[in-house]
Amino acid sequence: MKSAPVIDKVLVSIIGRALKAFTDEMSICMEKTTRSPILCEAKDFVTGLYDAEGRMLEQTENLPILSFSLGPVCAHIAEKFSGNVFPGDVFFHNDVFSLGNQNNDVATFKPIFVGDTLVAWSATKGHMADIGGAVRGGYNPNATEVWQEALRIPAIKIIERGVLRQDIWDLIFANIRLDIVQEDMRAEIGACTVGERRLVELIEKYGLEVFEAHKQHLFEATRRMMEAEIRAIPNGIYEGDGRVYFDGKNPGSKYTIRVKITVEDERMVFDYSDTDAQTNGFVNGTYTSSASATLLTFLQMVNPAIPHNHGMIQPIEIIIPEGTILNASYPAATTFGNHLCPPNADAIMRALAPVIPTRVTAGWNNLLCSLSSGHDPRKGDTFVDIMFMGLKGGSGAMTDVDGYDHIGMIDASGGLLDQDYEMFEQQTPHRLLRHEYLTDSAGPGRQRGGLGVETRFVMGGEDLELVTFGDGDEEPAFGLDGGGDGTLNKIELHRPDGTLVTPTSKDLVTGVPTGTLYVQEAGGGGGYGNPRQRQAAQVAAEVRDELISPTAAREIYGVAVDPQTLDLDEAATAELRG
Amino acid sequence: MTTYKLGIDVGGTFTDLFLWSADGAVDSFKTLSTPADPSEGVENGLHTIAASLGISAEEFAGKVTTIVHGTTVTTNAVLTRGGARTGLVTTAGVRDALEMRRGIREEQYNNRFENVRPLVPRHLRRPVRGRLDYAGDELEALNLDDLREAAQLLRASGVEAVALCFMNSFANPSHEQEAAHILAEELPGAYLSVSSEVLPTVRFYNRVSTTVLNSYVGPILKRYLENLTDKLAALGFGGVLLIMQSNGGVALPDVVQERPATTLLSGPAGGPAGAAAYAGDDCILVDMGGTSFDASLVRGGQAEMYAESELDRLRIALPMLAITTIGAGGGSIGRLDGGGLLRMGPESAGAAPGPACYGRGGAHPTCTDANVVLGYLDPATFAGGEMPLDAGAAKAAVEQHIGTPQRIDAEQAAAGMYRVINTNMAHGVREITVKRGLDPREFPMVVAGGAGSLHACMIALELDIPRLVIPPTASVLCAAGMLRCDLQHDYLRSYVCRFGALDDQHLKALVDEMINEGEAHLAGEGIAADERSHAVLLDLRYLKQYHEVTVAVDRAALERGDLGALASSFHGEHNRLYGYDLSAEGTELELINIRVRSLGRTEKPPLPVEADGSSDAGAAAKGRRRAFVPEREAFEELPVYDGHELVPGNLIPGPALVERVDTTVFISASFMALMDNQRSLVLTRQELRP
Repeated sequence: MKSAPVIDKVLVSIIGRALKAFTDEMSICMEKTTRSPILCEAKDFVTGLYDAEGRMLEQTENLPILSFSLGPVCAHIAEKFSGNVFPGDVFFHNDVFSLGNQNNDVATFKPIFVGDTLVAWSATKGHMADIGGAVRGGYNPNATEVWQEALRIPAIKIIERGVLRQDIWDLIFANIRLDIVQEDMRAEIGACTVGERRLVELIEKYGLEVFEAHKQHLFEATRRMMEAEIRAIPNGIYEGDGRVYFDGKNPGSKYTIRVKITVEDERMVFDYSDTDAQTNGFVNGTYTSSASATLLTFLQMVNPAIPHNHGMIQPIEIIIPEGTILNASYPAATTFGNHLCPPNADAIMRALAPVIPTRVTAGWNNLLCSLSSGHDPRKGDTFVDIMFMGLKGGSGAMTDVDGYDHIGMIDASGGLLDQDYEMFEQQTPHRLLRHEYLTDSAGPGRQRGGLGVETRFVMGGEDLELVTFGDGDEEPAFGLDGGGDGTLNKIELHRPDGTLVTPTSKDLVTGVPTGTLYVQEAGGGGGYGNPRQRQAAQVAAEVRDELISPTAAREIYGVAVDPQTLDLDEAATAELRG
Repeated sequence: MTTYKLGIDVGGTFTDLFLWSADGAVDSFKTLSTPADPSEGVENGLHTIAASLGISAEEFAGKVTTIVHGTTVTTNAVLTRGGARTGLVTTAGVRDALEMRRGIREEQYNNRFENVRPLVPRHLRRPVRGRLDYAGDELEALNLDDLREAAQLLRASGVEAVALCFMNSFANPSHEQEAAHILAEELPGAYLSVSSEVLPTVRFYNRVSTTVLNSYVGPILKRYLENLTDKLAALGFGGVLLIMQSNGGVALPDVVQERPATTLLSGPAGGPAGAAAYAGDDCILVDMGGTSFDASLVRGGQAEMYAESELDRLRIALPMLAITTIGAGGGSIGRLDGGGLLRMGPESAGAAPGPACYGRGGAHPTCTDANVVLGYLDPATFAGGEMPLDAGAAKAAVEQHIGTPQRIDAEQAAAGMYRVINTNMAHGVREITVKRGLDPREFPMVVAGGAGSLHACMIALELDIPRLVIPPTASVLCAAGMLRCDLQHDYLRSYVCRFGALDDQHLKALVDEMINEGEAHLAGEGIAADERSHAVLLDLRYLKQYHEVTVAVDRAALERGDLGALASSFHGEHNRLYGYDLSAEGTELELINIRVRSLGRTEKPPLPVEADGSSDAGAAAKGRRRAFVPEREAFEELPVYDGHELVPGNLIPGPALVERVDTTVFISASFMALMDNQRSLVLTRQELRP
């Protein structure tokens, strides 16, 4: 009988870090090889490695909302294709009714073998520029069923033992508008291959048995880290809510996400049973997108150095009954589901603010986004782009730290990047006029919220459509402990004939004339604490930098500056602050 | 007449000098850096060397044919935000791009992680109307009123440097050229960087960030090089002065002044060439000086490089050495944080006031003070006895700030400081290896820097590294490595064209143009024709991709116009990097840029090699000293050897101390030291003895 391998703690740490290096390298592959600006510029994709049972080994989560469904889908594929998984196979999947998170987020999975043994999976998932359905780009605010949104791809084998199943390939891409989606799926396969190559090298170097034993040790060490974090939260039941405005169909409609968080020693349960029922539109979540939202919000309240593997999620249970807005029943439309993360995060922050006040933030700017598409005559081709740079508002302040300026929605937490301005003009027919911090957008406070931004561009091209999706145009990011709210989101279209179109937060605007001026404001994050306790010199410096207006400085912060020199007027400030 | 070559590395605390004589002898020297004007430290160094040779500084300077110089003046200017007061003139509407950094937060789950302070504050980022489109065609003329207003405001604000970066200037530099002309008139004294000259490639953020860095350090580098060349000229130096660049190559001062951002990692860039000379083609290099600890990597004989990287989270889109730097050095200050936990650094006492034991007014306990208390450094013989240390002051500082508040004695406090800083440094080595999936146990670790060899054993134990190499030039390894670097110039031309439509004559003409430029530069730098070479690289991508793969091309294939051969090297490289290629699909390729890297091979001074002597190091023994043995957590009487008396073949079991003028080596109980034929001390892990 062979004895179990001796655990070498240095090797545990090397394997842990190596896995992270591999998923990072897969992420670089995606960034460098994809065609759609949604992927190569904004990095709206995730990469990961999973063990043979689909347990998370490590992930690179540029957009965390996509990431926590990859492991469960690995397990789903392993079960569905039991006995039929071979070296050289590749699988595709996007289906939201078999653990996918969003129709446009199409995943590639590659089983990894050492000899004849299935040892792991590599996976990549990115937001594809189109996925069929009724509306270019996938966001269809009029949809009531999944088929009006997208082509469903349940787990399918696209490459068997290294041989492409061309007929299946053709079937899929005959139903998708843009050729670049084929190329971007090839990039996903390539990135999975790189993950496979690296992991096989690692396992062959140390031996499978040693790898497995050390993997187990890594899971356990990580679980203990997470348990220690949970134990630091007092036992109890904490409740909070967050609101969703307008379902895309019924003006004035409003839904509430309610979470009940139970902390019991080293276990934690997030229970959404009291959340409102699903809508009859596309403002609905899937279990995996909603559970990802819960995890990524909670991960911001614990030690950021915890590795992202199976052990991290073991102590956490998430209950989301089917039929709620966070877990809609078949065959509901669900494309908006990823964007239920901000109100879900609001609910969790509000629930935990009284019990762990130094770990929560005030409210983050909610996402309001647009997707423009049309014909680019310069290239003779269709273009689709999500306006990432415009959507990124500020984060909420903490007890001792200002919010982060222009970070964007909490589901990305700064992992989603602005298009580079020049690349934006190369890739779309639009022309950027302005992309700058928005004065007075930050929620005031002893610690202010992060700043929002203003974006303006002239829309070029032909056959233009604009889809809006998001929220935050009715309720701003909330302040905490005397801190003020951030500003609201806004999108406006100024047509060349002088007329103004203000789309709702979930809208499809067709026939947009060339030359239309697009104007967007992404609001700031909520502030923390009384703004009159903010350092006066800091307020004055932000007045000089035109981030706070002299009026707001005086009226909200109680800080006066000399109108000529913009220097702090200490005497007048003392008087204002009493 | 004996002539000399000199490598000079100016660090935060010490200025290192490595001297190579044409008769084959080598020697190294150290002088204190003079941060206010680092060229003074260089001048002092020349005097020191001259004195040791028994000749006048003028006579010595006259015999030096080559000086290769690495400097941290630009690096430190960025890290301490001590660069020039800089203004940015940019296209109206995008002045915040510099600060936004595309909206990234590097630590996604850390809500206490703040954005980095921009090098130009918002009120000095001035908007100017005027616009080019994506192809470089003018949409709106440059607004000269805006430009003059911006210039006036920047002048009134007292800026010393200006960066100029307009949208789409990579496609058409005319607006920038026009504006540069006016800014030069309006701000005659200011240092001006123009983005289309610094980095003429698409991507606004990369360009604006790199251009601002260039301006921010431009006046600093210019002042420094002027001082330096004046001082060298005054001494009668008539040889060639070469400046170390971040890309691992060297260049003339005039060339680096055109792009000062190429010197942002000048200081450490010579190290890998030095490390490879002693430890072979694959090794880790760690360098601990007075202020910082650097870790870099040599693989396959080449220093690991990044095509784009960041300094303090600020983007530089120029080729740079891959290096991890942490604030841990001999001068690192120990303190107790709010929670009463011991921390070391990143604050440093630097050269002035320096550690408490320097007796120059430093009150805070530093790493060097701890090393004195632990018995590793002999106060009387430090720096060859030229700079006696005040052991009492070291002990008092450690006791007062660390020991007393924790109710432990000075020796226990010093042991704690030693352990904490060693852990910090081990983490730096992890960053460059483990974080990239490399096992540090497979690489010998070359130890450089005056302070490194007191800590190396503990770092190696932490990471399970079995072999350490401490070269005879350890304390000046970067300076020594600089003499082994080639001249290197990188050239770039854009030629955006589908592969099928490529005009191979035009391609060849562009390549020839750059090669001619390289030939001229290298000839001007005194490189003989047969020592010049040029590598041609193409930035290629599949149609509709937005990132390129840089592929080295076979010059013969290029001459033949054999595009098929070029394409097949691209397919291969794409597959190697990204896991697939599209050769079977027949996807068309697109050329974006052509690069030429011109190398001027310099003569590598041969390193002395000595034959083996006895294994018994007894002849070099010079006494015993009470010092701390970490493995046994106890003070013991350790044998002390004179490093200059050791001969190749000598074996020294740990624990022991080896003293040299430039550094002291602590061989811990877990290691056995052997002096090899190049006079490196090679430390190998041995089983712990009872």
